[in-house]
Amino acid sequence: MRSRTPTALEALRTVLIADDESSIRLLVHATIESDDYVVIEAADGAQAWALIQKVRPTVVLLDVQMPGRSGLEVLRSIKSDPSLAGTRVILLTSKAQEGDVEAGLMAGADFYLTKPFSPLDLLTRVDEALQL
Amino acid sequence: MGVQMRDRRPSGGPRRRGWSVRRYMVLFMVVLLAVAAMAAVAVRYIAEQDARQSALADANFGARVAATAIANDLLLLQQTTAKLAANPQVASVLALPGRPCGLNFAGGGAFSTGHIDIVKSDGTVICSSLPLTSGSVYAAADWLPTAIRSPVTEAPFVDPVTGQISAVIAAPIAGGIGTVAAIVALAPVGPNLAATLGGTRQLEFLVTTNDTKTALSRSLQPARWAGKSLAGTAFASSGTPVERPDVDGTTRLYGRYSVTSMAWTVFAGADEAAALSYADQLSNRGQALILAGVGIMLVVIFVVYRRIVDPIRQLSLVIRGSAPGEALNAVVGAGATEVTGLAEDFEKLMATVHHELADRLTSEQTALVSERNYRMLFEGHPQPMWLYDVDSLAFLEVNDSAVARYGYSRDEFLAMTTKDIRPPQDVPKFLELNTKPLPSSDRTGPWRYALKDGSTIQVMVTSHAVMFGDHHARVVLAEDLTEGQRLERELALSHARADSNAELSRAKDEMVSMVSHELRTPLASIVGFAELLATREVSPKQRNDYLAVMLQEGRRLTALVNDFLDLSRLEGDRLTLRFAPADIKALITRSIELFSDPAGAPIETHLPDDLPLVRVDSDSIFRVVTNLLSNARKYSPVGGSIEVGASVAEDKVEIYVQDKGLGIPADALSQLFGKFYRVDARDRDTIKGTGLGLAICKNIVEAHGGKIRARSEGLGKGACFYFTVPIVREQAETGDVLVVEDDSGFAHLLEAELAARGLSSMWAADAETAEHLMTKARAVVLDLLLPGLPGEAFLLRLRAKQGPGLPVVVVTLKDLDPAESLSLQKAGVTAVLRKGPGTAAMAANLLARSLVTELVAS
Repeated sequence: MRSRTPTALEALRTVLIADDESSIRLLVHATIESDDYVVIEAADGAQAWALIQKVRPTVVLLDVQMPGRSGLEVLRSIKSDPSLAGTRVILLTSKAQEGDVEAGLMAGADFYLTKPFSPLDLLTRVDEALQL
Repeated sequence: MGVQMRDRRPSGGPRRRGWSVRRYMVLFMVVLLAVAAMAAVAVRYIAEQDARQSALADANFGARVAATAIANDLLLLQQTTAKLAANPQVASVLALPGRPCGLNFAGGGAFSTGHIDIVKSDGTVICSSLPLTSGSVYAAADWLPTAIRSPVTEAPFVDPVTGQISAVIAAPIAGGIGTVAAIVALAPVGPNLAATLGGTRQLEFLVTTNDTKTALSRSLQPARWAGKSLAGTAFASSGTPVERPDVDGTTRLYGRYSVTSMAWTVFAGADEAAALSYADQLSNRGQALILAGVGIMLVVIFVVYRRIVDPIRQLSLVIRGSAPGEALNAVVGAGATEVTGLAEDFEKLMATVHHELADRLTSEQTALVSERNYRMLFEGHPQPMWLYDVDSLAFLEVNDSAVARYGYSRDEFLAMTTKDIRPPQDVPKFLELNTKPLPSSDRTGPWRYALKDGSTIQVMVTSHAVMFGDHHARVVLAEDLTEGQRLERELALSHARADSNAELSRAKDEMVSMVSHELRTPLASIVGFAELLATREVSPKQRNDYLAVMLQEGRRLTALVNDFLDLSRLEGDRLTLRFAPADIKALITRSIELFSDPAGAPIETHLPDDLPLVRVDSDSIFRVVTNLLSNARKYSPVGGSIEVGASVAEDKVEIYVQDKGLGIPADALSQLFGKFYRVDARDRDTIKGTGLGLAICKNIVEAHGGKIRARSEGLGKGACFYFTVPIVREQAETGDVLVVEDDSGFAHLLEAELAARGLSSMWAADAETAEHLMTKARAVVLDLLLPGLPGEAFLLRLRAKQGPGLPVVVVTLKDLDPAESLSLQKAGVTAVLRKGPGTAAMAANLLARSLVTELVAS
């Protein structure tokens, strides 16, 4: 299992999962929640944006196809806010269409994962995102 | 063009035809050759005849000349002998024998050989031109006695001196003492005659006695013929002069003449072959001339043919069109001056004709094309056009568009005037306008024109004055303003359709995306948790949580796939619906029970008790009602009452589900029943669904011949969904056996088994429906595990209403405890069968038997 000793600089990292599907939120939660990470959840784009501004999570996992504000809209909001420059964003998409992926990466996402995804991959991506 | 072609063909009528010049020339040549041949034959014949005649004439002449010569020579000898006899010396010689004398026989003419003798009367020769022969030489000569007294000329006799056949010419010496006799040999006469008189014809001479029986001399073979009998020859056979006797193999033509002084006949024979050979030469010459003449004529004919007839024939071919025009050059090159001139004239004429014809054709074609173009413009013009007579106002022509637009057939149009297509109230105004002379071209309107169906359209009329045959006419373009407006509307509609097509395409793309999303989301959970379970140590609670999510998502996936399949089957008409009478109230009630939520607002129902049976596939309609109720709940997030009702509308029952939820915007109402359609409003973002429910409902209702609609006052005002199903026609539902069975497959099997035993059946999918039908049945097959009212309860009601007589076979999966079995027996059940293979057949057998028994008993 993961053995990571928190340092003074490395405070507990917060990961936000924004997805309208509770089962996906539960999956992400179960995958990532550990001694190193705290996971918070949002069920739609608006809620996600509110939490991002309030909690300022280190990593944001955004479902692209969400009611209300879509994942891409939230991503653009993050990128347009300089104070959130350090926020890493991973997109979760059930669409494998190139257009979405391209739009996501153009908008500044660090990674993307296509549903169904491997939880271990997700964890790797989150770790990698933090090294950037 | 076709007309000219026709004119060039020969007419079919009788036609007098003379012979061609060529044929005449051939005939002429044949005649010429025939005449030449005849001439040649004639020339030969004439030449031969001529030769014969001439030969014969020559022969006659020869005979006469020879006869004359013989006569002269005889005369000369007679004179000579007479002179000698008169000479006294001769008498003295006779008187003084032994005196030397000298006589000389000077032969000449015909008689070249002979001798002169002075003969004593006793026949002794005194003196002779030949040496004397002693003795009385001529004592035996018969002529001697005569000769002593008078001159004698006699022949033939055999000269005793020479032994030759000879003639004697004697003259008496005075005193009867002797005679002077010239004895001439006859044999040389012929050759002598031939030598002197034969001439070019080489005549043959024959001297005979007058009776022609004895030959005296002959120019041919003289020694043989002298004194010979001619008996048996052609000379002797006929008394008449012989023309062509055969002697020594040569055919000759003979002339004859008599020597008057002697009883001799002279024949002169001309050689026929020689004469003919000459004639042959002559005729050959003549024939050569004829041949030359024929040759010259042929040359003339050839020249005439080559220079006149042939060129004329060529010219004629060119004129008739059988030969190319270049053939004229050959005519000009080869013909006689006149023919050449004719050909050249013809060529010029043809050139002129071609030129003028081409000019005329061009102008005719131009006119034709122009007319065709105008006609096409008229016929094919999309706006109605017609031609009418200015005086009578009658239609003269109308185009297709007018026929199509106005509804009159072309014939109907042509039987009308332009007044007839105007509304009656407009006619006076039109006639008034028409009294004034119209400009050659004008545009008026809008006018009102009446169509055949009675409707009126607005028209702008453009017209031009034209001549049509001998009519003063106007051609009218009736611009249809109404049609224009309609077209504009259609255009707008078509744009709208194109938009909706684009919309459809977009919806399809969205559907693909939606399906992808709908499938991937549950998959992501299932796969993700499975991986977590496989790779991590988890607490039992976590495991249970994970598995619960996986199960839930798996079911969701299953529902989605099922919905998809159902929809695709419904849309492809592949879902088998089993229609049967059903109690719609019971069906709705059962559906409502699924959504009864003690915490939420109750569902109100407005279901009259006297609703008729409906004819539906119960499972499907149950699904529709359930789906509508489910939606009503989902889209009423803050609660609010739900109302379900049913009412009869004509031959249908209309069922509605009304909620007081989020409502539906007006523009979405028409699209609600499409696949994956979702109202795009934030208030329903969290409401889940496959997006296929209403599409499935629509397909099911339509498969029942019904309609499904949605009504909403707008967002926040709630929504009402209502649909119709057909009512059962009472008399249509009859049958021997009532099958009460909720499993449609098994019910179907039972009905088939009953039918195989001659029993008709009715099927009720629940007990409530069965209650409606039970009065009509003679037997019942009953399942105990039924939706709604259980089978046992139904059985009790059946017995209560129908009495104990009705045979009932129970077929069920239910495990019966002894108490239940007992109560069934008490209810008078014929048999209780457990569902399994063969149960349907067994139940059918039992019922068939009991019904027959019942029949016999009654």
